[in-house]
Amino acid sequence: MKFAIALFSPPHAPSSRRALRFAEAVLAGGHEIVRLFLYQDAVQHASAALVLPQDETDGARQWQTFISDNQLDAVVCIAAALRRGVLNDEEAARHDKPATVQSRAWTLSGLGQLHEANQLADRLICFGGP
Amino acid sequence: MSTLHVLSHSPFSDSRLSSCLRLLTPGDGLLLCGDAVYALQGGTAQRAALELMPETIALLALAEDLHARGLVQLPERLQLLDYPGFVASSIAFDKVNTWL
Repeated sequence: MKFAIALFSPPHAPSSRRALRFAEAVLAGGHEIVRLFLYQDAVQHASAALVLPQDETDGARQWQTFISDNQLDAVVCIAAALRRGVLNDEEAARHDKPATVQSRAWTLSGLGQLHEANQLADRLICFGGP
Repeated sequence: MSTLHVLSHSPFSDSRLSSCLRLLTPGDGLLLCGDAVYALQGGTAQRAALELMPETIALLALAEDLHARGLVQLPERLQLLDYPGFVASSIAFDKVNTWL
């Protein structure tokens, strides 16, 4: 079974953790994740500049590790990312901004990638809100 | 075409649950996770509404969210899910609609 997973909530939201546990269970069950997609406030997951207190769970890092370990196709909506300051080298240069904060685990791309993922997958599962 | 509706907002802070209940058709499922499991709290109108759902609609909840909130005296029809169960349910229904 092929899954596409879209996430709409920031790393500190319980729904982000729920999505990660779900994604882990998808792979553990022998299924495939064709793409992960970050939209709206979920683009914060793609920031490599988040600093959390040591006694708090770092959801963004857990996602980045999960993606790297499983070599998943992980895409961030570029429009949602730029307005929240999540830039890669190319976008930082293009918009004359001083910093690049995008994690290497994720790729900036367009909303069309979510549409395509929905076509490629048997199920699109969305996580957002609390 | 069966749909699994997934709710995570508290049913005491908005109208997602009541809107969702109106849309459910035979063969559909309702999965409560996060604060949405508070709909199972005894003695509330939300719990009563869930109990009035036809048997043709499956009632599910994410076990860890129920346990984290200490909810007890649950309806007999309620199916508790772990994450592998969540994945299995998302396959068992034709599509999954999350109430974001």
